[in-house]
Amino acid sequence: MGDIRQSLLPRDVLSAAKELLYHLDIYICNLVQSGRQPPQVDSKTLELVEEFILHAPKDRNTPGRRMSALQELQLLEIMCSCFQEQSRDTVRQLMFSALFSLQGNQADESRMALLGKLVSMAIAVGRIPILECAATWLQRTHCVYCVRLAQVLVDDYCSMVPGSVPTLQNIHSASPRFCCQFITAVTTLYDLTSEELTPPLELLQMIVSWIQDDPRLVLITFLNTPLSGSQPISSLDVTPLGGLMRWCVKAPLAYRRDKKQVLTNGSTENEPDTGPLFSALHLSVLQVFMLLPNILNEKGLFGRLALLQMESLAALTSDLSRLLDQADKHTHTSSTDTHALSQLTLDRLAQALQVAMANGALLCSREDLRAICSRLPHNNLLQLVLSGPVMYYNNIHTPPLAFSPHAAHSPIASHPTHPAHTPHTPHTPLTNHPSSHPQYPGQPFMTGMPFPFRPSH
Amino acid sequence: MLGWLADAAITLLVMGPSRLPWQSSALRQMSQKDCEFLVKRARELVSDDPYAAKAWLITARTLYPADFNIQYEMYNIERNAERTASAGRLLYDMFINFPDQPTVWREISVITAALRSDSQDKHAQFLRGLFETLPGRVQCEMLLKATEQCFNTLEKAEMLLLLLKRFPESVVQHGVNLGETLLEAEVSENVETPVNCFRKLFVCDVLPLVINNMDMRLPASLMQKYMLKAAEFYIGYVTRSQEAGSLKSPSVSRGSQRYVIDGLSEKSSVVIEPWERLLDILAVVGARCEWQGDKGQRSYVDMLLRLKELCRYLPGLEGDTRSRCSSQVVICAALVLFRSAFLYMSAIQPTLFQGVNALSLGPWILVEDLSSVYNDVEVERGAVKHAHKKRKLADGREKTMSSDDEEGLGKGRGRHILVNKTEMPNWSETLENFCTARESWDLLHSHESLETEFKKICASWKTDSWLWFRIFLTDMIIYQGHYRKALSSLHQMVAVLQPQPGQQSPSGQASLEHHRALIQQASCHYALGEYRMACEKLLDVVSGLVPPNQEPTKTTEEQGRVKTKTRKGNDLRLLPCNSKAILPFCLQLMLACFKLRAFTDNRDDLSLGHVVVLLQYDWPHGEMLFLKAVDKICQQGSFQYENFFNYVTNIDMLEEFAYLRTPEGGRIQLELLPNQGMLINPSSSPIPVTLPSFPTSRHHTVTRGITKGVKEDFRLAMERQVSRCGENLLSVLHRFCINEKIIIIQSLP
Repeated sequence: MGDIRQSLLPRDVLSAAKELLYHLDIYICNLVQSGRQPPQVDSKTLELVEEFILHAPKDRNTPGRRMSALQELQLLEIMCSCFQEQSRDTVRQLMFSALFSLQGNQADESRMALLGKLVSMAIAVGRIPILECAATWLQRTHCVYCVRLAQVLVDDYCSMVPGSVPTLQNIHSASPRFCCQFITAVTTLYDLTSEELTPPLELLQMIVSWIQDDPRLVLITFLNTPLSGSQPISSLDVTPLGGLMRWCVKAPLAYRRDKKQVLTNGSTENEPDTGPLFSALHLSVLQVFMLLPNILNEKGLFGRLALLQMESLAALTSDLSRLLDQADKHTHTSSTDTHALSQLTLDRLAQALQVAMANGALLCSREDLRAICSRLPHNNLLQLVLSGPVMYYNNIHTPPLAFSPHAAHSPIASHPTHPAHTPHTPHTPLTNHPSSHPQYPGQPFMTGMPFPFRPSH
Repeated sequence: MLGWLADAAITLLVMGPSRLPWQSSALRQMSQKDCEFLVKRARELVSDDPYAAKAWLITARTLYPADFNIQYEMYNIERNAERTASAGRLLYDMFINFPDQPTVWREISVITAALRSDSQDKHAQFLRGLFETLPGRVQCEMLLKATEQCFNTLEKAEMLLLLLKRFPESVVQHGVNLGETLLEAEVSENVETPVNCFRKLFVCDVLPLVINNMDMRLPASLMQKYMLKAAEFYIGYVTRSQEAGSLKSPSVSRGSQRYVIDGLSEKSSVVIEPWERLLDILAVVGARCEWQGDKGQRSYVDMLLRLKELCRYLPGLEGDTRSRCSSQVVICAALVLFRSAFLYMSAIQPTLFQGVNALSLGPWILVEDLSSVYNDVEVERGAVKHAHKKRKLADGREKTMSSDDEEGLGKGRGRHILVNKTEMPNWSETLENFCTARESWDLLHSHESLETEFKKICASWKTDSWLWFRIFLTDMIIYQGHYRKALSSLHQMVAVLQPQPGQQSPSGQASLEHHRALIQQASCHYALGEYRMACEKLLDVVSGLVPPNQEPTKTTEEQGRVKTKTRKGNDLRLLPCNSKAILPFCLQLMLACFKLRAFTDNRDDLSLGHVVVLLQYDWPHGEMLFLKAVDKICQQGSFQYENFFNYVTNIDMLEEFAYLRTPEGGRIQLELLPNQGMLINPSSSPIPVTLPSFPTSRHHTVTRGITKGVKEDFRLAMERQVSRCGENLLSVLHRFCINEKIIIIQSLP
């Protein structure tokens, strides 16, 4: 490869990049044919990529060569057709990874820039192989970079060029894997903590329609990933479920904030109500949870793999309690409205927790849930979920147990939520919970006790 | 699809075995309250935010998977939104998880009812679609269970039928049983007619499934039994009477235009193209019973031709082949017979049947053709002589012997039936059907074994009680010349049809039918030479008629006559049964009765007078006969007919009679006024002295002879009569028939 550098140096920027791509293709083909496991692109080659394709400065003395915008566009076209023409998946993947795997060096910035442009172009012209490679990239890369890529795409398709959303919409059919990873990245990116981190309406509508059309879409990556253990640290979640759940749960609060801002700005612009969108999305999320038992059982992972992480849920609930607290403090005028939205948030949280738990997406006990939810204000359904169903055994059916790992191993009588176990003992909030909101009275858990909401009839 | 099946399986797995009751009732109450709360929240949300409502219910179901109400609410939302696939899935879940819930069964019965119904409304279609989303195994199970829960035989059968139609493999197991259940139900439910809901279901739905299922092997005898059940149904259906009841029950509800088989909906009471369906079944049964003949045979007429051929070989066959063959002939010929007879009758008397459009004017009466009545007596007599066996009786009058069977049969060959073609547009099909029916009948009676089998069918179907068929048979017997038989059959019919004093006949159907029979009787009596009986029947009819206001237009009659001029006199005619046609026919028949008598060598002034009166009708067609009568009067030198001035208004005739009295006319002694020389020639008048019909008071002993006064009376009477020329002739003749009824009858042998 050393010889190659010498031959590339005299060339102009574009032809050198083109030449290198050509050599890279041959090199990787040979690499794959040699059968060496795992096929590893050597560092020399990676350096060449950085020098001649990414144009990262080799050292401080030699400034990197620059490409004109036109040359860059030509290069992207060449790359597109290069991936398109390569029929072997392995070769494509290795090449993509040689080009875009982050190396933790200076070149990463230009790498990310080029990647963003390439993927954006692949979406525009429907280059499926590139999207597939990008999907894999999104699985293997640290989520910070994944979010950056997502940001580029959202900017390109939802913010920069109005009316280009339908093009992005097509990725659903072009590459479901990429689409799924994109959703995960986007839900990670937009955590609804600020207006900037609230998804654009077009994006939201698109995602809702994707999932409504095909709920299994959000599970595509998970379905195509052999086993969970080998997940790179800090990569994106294997499904967007956590992110979507966060969206739905926080939406009533987040968008209320937006609305209020619009009102204070005096803007008359009538944004379409996002309420029904999130309602539909929330239902879709629950429906996806319902699909899980079969899939998990098929994979032999039922009760062994949690698609929702307790830590992120804990983050969500603490975030929620803060938001609810703020909402409570700041609203005096339309308190009934605020209350209704807060309750909607808690209803959704309760529903998501319950359905996730029942379907094996969340592996914890109700006690664990009570711990993370202890700072939340009162909500009937949440209380019901946290206490668990009343267990009684009539002569026909037995209510199922929550799919908790405890329940799977311990006898029924010792089930922590069993009402007979602690019939009239009020459940004190867990003291070991890192509670940062002492002003909130904890949920008074009274398992097995009639709830105050119960209709008296 | 498979995913959600497995889902449901997991739901089942999740429900563990039962455990000890443990504070069960209090806890149960609590859980019930939870469930109620969850369902209530979902209900509150469903109209504003259906997604949220569903999210609540999904959550609720994971909390309380064994709670029925939660799942039912989920189902309800999907059903009310008419989302077929998701509702179907939830129904499936409920069916599997809550097989004992009455609500589920109510729902299933609503769905199966929609399946059975023919309603096209959106909801019914949705329910049917919902059922379609279920896996076949579940559909099958659901229908079977729904069937088990049915106590009504009909509903049960309909349900089972749904099963059989959907799952042909179940026909083998259930088909014949279902059929037999339906046939048994007919008996146990005491249904009166073969056109009932059970038979309809059996014939139209079950039977095709059973006979077309090649996995089943049914004995030929059973196939034939079923075939006959089908035939009885279809014939009964086609010939269902306007008045719903048969001869036996005339009081059954009538008048409704729409026909509904008891227990069925109006739409499912309709059978489209019954004869074709019957032919379909016949083809399959024939094929499966290994009958002779090509299977592609698609018409009843072709079938008759083939049967005739088959019949020729029949005597040479033996054993099974013979019995198989004769079964084929009897069943097929019977079907051809009943179909052709029905088609003939639907033209002759469309009002007998419901659903037959009365295109032609009906009813029609098959009678002797009298178009040659105005022909010369001698020609006529020769013809009649040729046709009837006559004997000179001691009193010199001729009497036709009643025809016996052989003679009748001999005569039945090649008789013509005349029809006014403009009045009966479908005349040629009608006559063809009549002919086909007669030929099938003959075929069925060509071998003793065939006849026996045919009679068995007739007995089991009680064809004796089929009025329409009896009318057809009577017409056929008349055609065959078996007048005596025809008379006895007509006599029975008249007895049945006699309008009861207390009973209103809404359409005048019964009285029309009564007339029809009487006229046919008269025609038969006439054909037998029983003129007195003939006239008696006729005058019964005439007395019930209202004379038409206008004289009939003669043009159509004229056309008919030109054609029939050369007929021999043993032809038949189809006469429309209305007063416009009946009255002329009666007059002609009376003329025919008196004609022979009036022109015998013996003097019979009364008959001659009647002839003159009757000849006025359709004048001048009878001119030739009138001149003959005048000749006879001239030969006699005198003529006595005291009704002359009551009933003769024809100016030509009046002139002729006025002339007869003149010296140029031969000074014929005419005694045409009432009471004028009653006893001059007593031997010539058989009239008894007391006749109620004479309009003027009478003085028996007065013989005024030919006086100047009389002459004056005659002249005055003539003058008055001329002024009457404009009178409606049919009214005059109608009056004649009514007033002189007794005298007319008594003047005949």
